[in-house]
Amino acid sequence: MSTETATPVVELANVTRRYGKNYAVRDASLAIHPGEVVGLVGDNGAGKSTIVKMISGYIEPTAGTIKVQGKPVRFGSPRQARAAGIETVYQDLAIVDEMALWRNFFLGQELHRNLLGIRYLRVKEMARICDEHLAEVGLTSVESSHQTAATLSGGERQSLAISRAIHFDSQLLVLDEPVAALSVRETRRVLEAIEAAKQNDLGVLYIDHNMDHVLPAADRIVIMHRGTISRVVQKGDLTVDELSDAVAESGTAAADNGG
Amino acid sequence: MSDAPAGRALRVGRRLLRQQELAPAIAIVILFLVFEFRSGEVGFFSNPDLMSSVAALTSSVGMVSLGVTALMISGEFDLSVSATFALGPAIMGWLMREWGWHILAGLFAGLAIVALIGLINGLITTYIGVPSFIVTLGMLFAVTSWNRIILGGFPVDLIEEEGTVKKILGADIPGSPIAAPFAWMVGIGIILAFVLWRTQYGNWTYAAGKYGGGVARAMGVPVLRVKLTNFVLAGLLAGLAGILQFADFGSSSVASGIDINLLAIVAVVVGGTSLFGAKGTVIGSMLGAIILGSLKVGLIVIKVPSEYYLGLVGVLLVVSAGLNARVEALRRGGTTSTLFG
Repeated sequence: MSTETATPVVELANVTRRYGKNYAVRDASLAIHPGEVVGLVGDNGAGKSTIVKMISGYIEPTAGTIKVQGKPVRFGSPRQARAAGIETVYQDLAIVDEMALWRNFFLGQELHRNLLGIRYLRVKEMARICDEHLAEVGLTSVESSHQTAATLSGGERQSLAISRAIHFDSQLLVLDEPVAALSVRETRRVLEAIEAAKQNDLGVLYIDHNMDHVLPAADRIVIMHRGTISRVVQKGDLTVDELSDAVAESGTAAADNGG
Repeated sequence: MSDAPAGRALRVGRRLLRQQELAPAIAIVILFLVFEFRSGEVGFFSNPDLMSSVAALTSSVGMVSLGVTALMISGEFDLSVSATFALGPAIMGWLMREWGWHILAGLFAGLAIVALIGLINGLITTYIGVPSFIVTLGMLFAVTSWNRIILGGFPVDLIEEEGTVKKILGADIPGSPIAAPFAWMVGIGIILAFVLWRTQYGNWTYAAGKYGGGVARAMGVPVLRVKLTNFVLAGLLAGLAGILQFADFGSSSVASGIDINLLAIVAVVVGGTSLFGAKGTVIGSMLGAIILGSLKVGLIVIKVPSEYYLGLVGVLLVVSAGLNARVEALRRGGTTSTLFG
């Protein structure tokens, strides 16, 4: 794989986040390369969501640096992280049900023309682009991008959010438990969308507490435990069965330590 | 299957149901017909005097509801608009009477103060994090108190009686029995409807109303700034509504606009705007205000005792909210059982 030599899209170098005396994340280092899916796995409280919040600009690290394309960055807000090419898809905060698909797709980055200082939306163009991208991630059941997002299933909503990241030339797609509570068929749909993101050379950070969800999609799996990275597994190094065993072992170890 | 006539009819039907202005528009037609044919010789829409009253009642509640709609779509409330409604003319009339200010100077000073009230509501809600329900309830009391201090219990008259400014604000529209405030409401309502429908700011307003702005924030929308702007808009339009009524009636008092905060919410809900944010239209709110205005005048015309008015408003509010909920369930694919099958 060429990913070893390419500059990581996002790199965490010895990142720590502390709340008072408690370490949410301690000395974590992690790199995601273009076209690579990195699974981030761990129990509740392992520090996964703190990593996500730091990468997506909600909080800043107490120590250590975050690099985008090799350059150190500091995000003061989610807006800045998004401007740097990091698109985060949250389980519950990805889509506004009441709004049309094209409105969701372009939210925050609407195409517009200036009319006397008023940002007038270029609706037809946005609807057309949205329609094209929905087909790309396999959302073929959608009749029109003018229907509301409430008409989509759980998997379709995640796919819409992923297609949005592809369109806006994001560097890194962060997925927070994208298939939680989805059926097998819906899960397959989301995996297809992740594959499409990969083909478009996005780096993908896939967070889930359930290893079985991450396994089919990830090229590399990073296991977190109590704020530190306890193990990194390359998918190519082990067979799927061996990987499952490794995961089971580390899960047991985590449970023992946690107890 | 999808090409079968029944399927097509269902799709057309769903599209119509999706138009949330449909229900209030039908209600207006029914009300107008009932009042017209039950009022004998007096008539209803055939009677210019009655239409003048309906327009006057509608324009006050309607103008207030415009700002309240935008604010509610972005997920916040303003209960202080009834006090702001009285504050605008109080400041304007007081400056003209006590300090001899020109009507235009008084007008802009009044508008600046009511916008400031909205700004304070917004700052406390967005930056300190007190729920807008509480902030604006507190503001309702504070501004009511301020109105009493300024006016001292007496009405204030609009000193300049026949000037151009007064005519533009409050005189009858030439050749009609309708006073100018109704035209102001329709004009500003159409502009605001366009802004919400077809501008980036409108898109952000809808998104800001979902999950406390969580989705919008994740997408990089400046949620606090959007909400703050809508708070200012709600204060500004409430004060403007008060000033327009002041110009129309020629006087104002601390009692002006009483209950208009609640009536505006009724108009907004009847117009199909969700109390949970992210959904609604200002056109619907204006139709809701027309329903309230017609109901008040129409009941008198068909000799229903006026004591029944508020009761009917209450029923109207709850029934429309219930219908909205059912229609919403139908739009989501009709898998839940609804009144409509």
